Amino acid sequence: MNQTATNAIDHDLIARFKAGSMEAMEEIVERYEKRIFTFGLKMCGHLQDAEDIVQETFLNAFRYLGRFREETKLKNWLFKIATRACIRKRRKKKCEPDYEISLESFVHENGSDIKYEIPDLSDDPSDNVLRAELKQMIDAAIQSLPHKYRLVFNLRDTEGFNTEETSEILGISVQSVKTRLHRARLFLREKISGHYMEG
Amino acid sequence: MKEDCKKHFKRISEYLDGELDERACKEIEANLEKCPECLECLHSLKKSIQLCKETGEEEMPADMRDRLRSNLRDCFSHKLK
Repeated sequence: MNQTATNAIDHDLIARFKAGSMEAMEEIVERYEKRIFTFGLKMCGHLQDAEDIVQETFLNAFRYLGRFREETKLKNWLFKIATRACIRKRRKKKCEPDYEISLESFVHENGSDIKYEIPDLSDDPSDNVLRAELKQMIDAAIQSLPHKYRLVFNLRDTEGFNTEETSEILGISVQSVKTRLHRARLFLREKISGHYMEG
Repeated sequence: MKEDCKKHFKRISEYLDGELDERACKEIEANLEKCPECLECLHSLKKSIQLCKETGEEEMPADMRDRLRSNLRDCFSHKLK
């Protein structure tokens, strides 16, 4: 089968890497390091852990890229490796076990007066301090998501993978992706709104 | 929340993501027209998703980028040129 899932630029870079080009390796890093770093930081919450995730992802990727058959996009394959690195990191740290987020916890009985305070992100550069505070609060809220919900949320809403791609990257069903994403979003809305309503 | 609204509440994310068929969308939209609580739920969820997306990007520190390149060169220089 000649058809590949990678785009033309990645396809060319992979071919050059397989032919022994150091430059191609560096171009692949340049294309994806920021996104893998963002993912690592959103998953682990610490710079050092995020660096470990980036290093491990690219080291493993280039170890096996020679055998990569381009049946999936390069970006998706890299995120699959990064996801495994995050799961390994979590196991090593012996974190608390995951807990389930219940949908019922977001159902407010007699809740017609429920209001959510969700702030706007201003484009005004003079609001940089407020933007930074808002970002810090949102990052903390994402960190407080249970790990398996955080994985889905970060892949879907931060990295922009679709439901099927996320299902493939994580090796879980499409329905599980949808369920976890919905609960993660509701959880984050409560956290963000709660923060602003407390003042 | 009314019992009828709960079944729509479960599918709001799928609705926002455009993952529901036409019939399911119409059911949700009919409910939104008559239920201010569900409408508020939809708007606030949409807004918080957008906010998380807008604050999502991180900058990788320059020293970290340098260390990554240096490690990769060390590991693969024997088979790349």
